[in-house]
Amino acid sequence: MRIVLPAALREYARGASEVKASGRTLGALLADLDAKFPGIRQRILEDTGVIRQYVNVFVNGGQVEEPDPARVRVEDGDTVHIIPSVAGGSR
Amino acid sequence: MTVPKGSTVVMVGTRKGLYVFHSKDRRRWRLAGRYFEGIPVHHARYDPREGMAYAAVNSFQFGPLVHRSKSLTKWTRPKSGPAYPKKSGWSVAKVWNVQGGGPAQPGVLYAGVEPAGLFRSEDDGESWEQVDGLTKHATRPKWQPGNGGLCLHTIVPDPKNPKKMVIGISAVAVFRTEDGGDTWKTMNHGLTARWFPDPKPREVGYCPHKLARDAEDSGTLYLQHHWGVFRYEEGKGRWVDVSRGLSSSFGFGLAAGSEGGSAYVVPLKSDGDRTTLGEMAVYRTRNGGRAWQRLTTGLPRPAHLTILREGVGADGQDPVGVYVATEQGQVFATRDGGDHWDVIADNLAPAMSVTASPYP
Repeated sequence: MRIVLPAALREYARGASEVKASGRTLGALLADLDAKFPGIRQRILEDTGVIRQYVNVFVNGGQVEEPDPARVRVEDGDTVHIIPSVAGGSR
Repeated sequence: MTVPKGSTVVMVGTRKGLYVFHSKDRRRWRLAGRYFEGIPVHHARYDPREGMAYAAVNSFQFGPLVHRSKSLTKWTRPKSGPAYPKKSGWSVAKVWNVQGGGPAQPGVLYAGVEPAGLFRSEDDGESWEQVDGLTKHATRPKWQPGNGGLCLHTIVPDPKNPKKMVIGISAVAVFRTEDGGDTWKTMNHGLTARWFPDPKPREVGYCPHKLARDAEDSGTLYLQHHWGVFRYEEGKGRWVDVSRGLSSSFGFGLAAGSEGGSAYVVPLKSDGDRTTLGEMAVYRTRNGGRAWQRLTTGLPRPAHLTILREGVGADGQDPVGVYVATEQGQVFATRDGGDHWDVIADNLAPAMSVTASPYP
């Protein structure tokens, strides 16, 4: 599967904006991604294992609303975008 | 830009990144660089004993990491940041404080985090282990956040005994361990928590803002509490209120000087306003808080500035250099122990922390 990384996480992938990983769920996909680029999963998931509050994940353009990535099915050929929430305005 | 050996370095953590300044003579300061642009850096410090600098970098979206640097200009991202076990139900939101283990614990690094907890690393912050003796403390269900969050913000290792350490958690208590972190006791005797309807002693509900150990007597601690400045002497086992002589008992930042008995605070107007009382004034004691000198030479007036809990730092030199960073983006410094002050940086992003150290 194709995973599109935000600028802030590209340093994990030696600057690449897109990387490949595999898995039958979003959780497995992120585990595979973390095996390739150690530490990147912790930036996307809380310690509790759910998707961080201010990180958005889209699969084929649809926003993932299920916080537990293990419950999100993905398939070969999917495109996953990881996008930080829009920030600013309070400080 | 490189930081020359033999300099003094000042590291200013702000809501929009880290600034590193250096000086050979503590008169003329140069900016080595700004790092982690746009990301809050709650605390950063150089540890001359380890030859390494550490920065608590807290991304709003992607969470906290403790970066490290030998050169102070090139920073290394670790593989992972401090993380609670999944089953705990907690997730580390911010790293508030990074502290080396000191001479008694070479190679050890500690991180104080929010929600309140203590983490230990033995590989320069590459991996972390929770000090779960603290997190499992019997009072943990009663810990409640203050306005700054439920943060463990101060870590004070004992320079002589690796088993002993004192920590501070906002709106909760001062805790100490004497067995390397396996067990912890509250350390509140002599403090008052004025927000409760009655003044009886409690285990938690106190509000330490910043702690520092005396430069010469490792058994003496200073505390800027929400309600007062205090001195603790190990032999007496209680905090003594030494606020008399200060323009306000409220404040956040506190630093110990280089000589025994010396400490610096910046009083702020009440916990509602949290700004300097019309003018910028630093208070110095040279006798453990028994008397205070008001220091204003070179400091602005009028001034309604905010100095946060990591906003006062000292460089450990003789005479001591003391540094005060404001939320308005200034850094004030003295190189003569506080008699004269200069602005060494202005118009920075809002500052949350300042530390200073020789860079040998």
